[in-house]
Amino acid sequence: MTRVVLVPGALALLPEYAGIEDPVAELRSAALGAVGRLGREVTVLAGAQGARVAAYLLDATDRAGAEPSYLVVGNGSAKRTEKAPGHFDERAEGFDAALGASLRAGRPAVDVALARELWADVDAIVELADLDDDLGEAQVDYDDAPYGVQYWVIGWAR
Amino acid sequence: MTLRLGRHPFADDATLMMAIVNRTPDSFFDRGATWEEDKAFDRVTQVVAEGAEIVDIGGIKAAPGAEIGEEEERARVVDFVARVRESFPSVVISVDTWRASVGDAVCAAGADLLNDAWGGADPELVDVAAAYGAAIVCTHTGGVTPRTRPYRIEYDDVVRAAIDDTVAYAERAVAAGVARESVVIDPAHDFGKNTFHSLELTRRLGEMVDTGWPVLVSLSNKDFVGESLDLPVGERLTGTLAATAVCALAGARVYRVHQVVETRQTVDMVETIAGRRLPQRAIRGLQ
Repeated sequence: MTRVVLVPGALALLPEYAGIEDPVAELRSAALGAVGRLGREVTVLAGAQGARVAAYLLDATDRAGAEPSYLVVGNGSAKRTEKAPGHFDERAEGFDAALGASLRAGRPAVDVALARELWADVDAIVELADLDDDLGEAQVDYDDAPYGVQYWVIGWAR
Repeated sequence: MTLRLGRHPFADDATLMMAIVNRTPDSFFDRGATWEEDKAFDRVTQVVAEGAEIVDIGGIKAAPGAEIGEEEERARVVDFVARVRESFPSVVISVDTWRASVGDAVCAAGADLLNDAWGGADPELVDVAAAYGAAIVCTHTGGVTPRTRPYRIEYDDVVRAAIDDTVAYAERAVAAGVARESVVIDPAHDFGKNTFHSLELTRRLGEMVDTGWPVLVSLSNKDFVGESLDLPVGERLTGTLAATAVCALAGARVYRVHQVVETRQTVDMVETIAGRRLPQRAIRGLQ
């Protein structure tokens, strides 16, 4: 069985950016839970910053098993609200809904040009789709945009 | 250094707010606002709600004035300490007194800390602290008599004098049986000092911190702030907070204050800048 987990590249997950209160406590809990279900050896699909998030999550989890495992770091748009990093873009919600539906269906489909405009971090998701265009059944552990950036924590097993 | 104030331990990096509660009719800042016992109790309730870890209860104003005998001082503070102890078991109760007999009575009533603002004028105060397992604040006054103003006092080096006297007092307290982690030193701004002395102590507070003893600063609305800015008592908060920030950056641990909320924010901000405290909650740019 191949296991795949998608987490967002939120830098707030990194220990070096910890505050007294955790602004992403629910996201962190979901991501640690999902990554904990991967096998011992994990292939990471991520950019440079995303790789740091992946390294933190892998370090922070005890994993067992020899299933082929992938940890993908990516997220939706960063233009969901007036206070979002990229300010509000009315196309962001629809973009995230479409991308989210494709992820839940296990068949990631990304409008790369629109993703660039909406500051969506999708390179690793595109890479994943190129590796495998049918990921199997999805378990959605987190789906929200608490700070104007769309985050998903989704696990697939096939 | 870990700090233990009576029954209350604090972490190495904790900064503490000590709120002033006057059971006096004539202290310089509040001018008798909490002279009535119920008003003083309301003040305790308020500062505890504001997050003060320590209340410093005093029955005699620092400045010269009508003599308050031991019996009168006890009448002002002992039962009040017992009432605060009963109502607020988790707050540290400090009593601002130089008299061993008063210290004995307030410790029996539940005080955790004796704040000897007059620098060991009564040599038996340390024995009282030791007997009750209480903590003690060792201040520098340059050897002046309690409740006198400084008059033409000069020092070769005021910081050296403050360090030498407070550390000697601290060691005397430990020798008398006070726990080493229950001793705090205080340069005592404006006590036996002119404005230039208090400014130099503020500027060089790091030298006191380097002794390893936890340092208390009592800056709140004092004359060195007023003279620096030419402002009367009611308009010294901003200057007080600026002095507080300088002391916080140098590593002071305890802040004796009138305004708890403002001082806590100032100290927390400086501690966060210094990298000794995390931001409360950081998400900007990190989403």
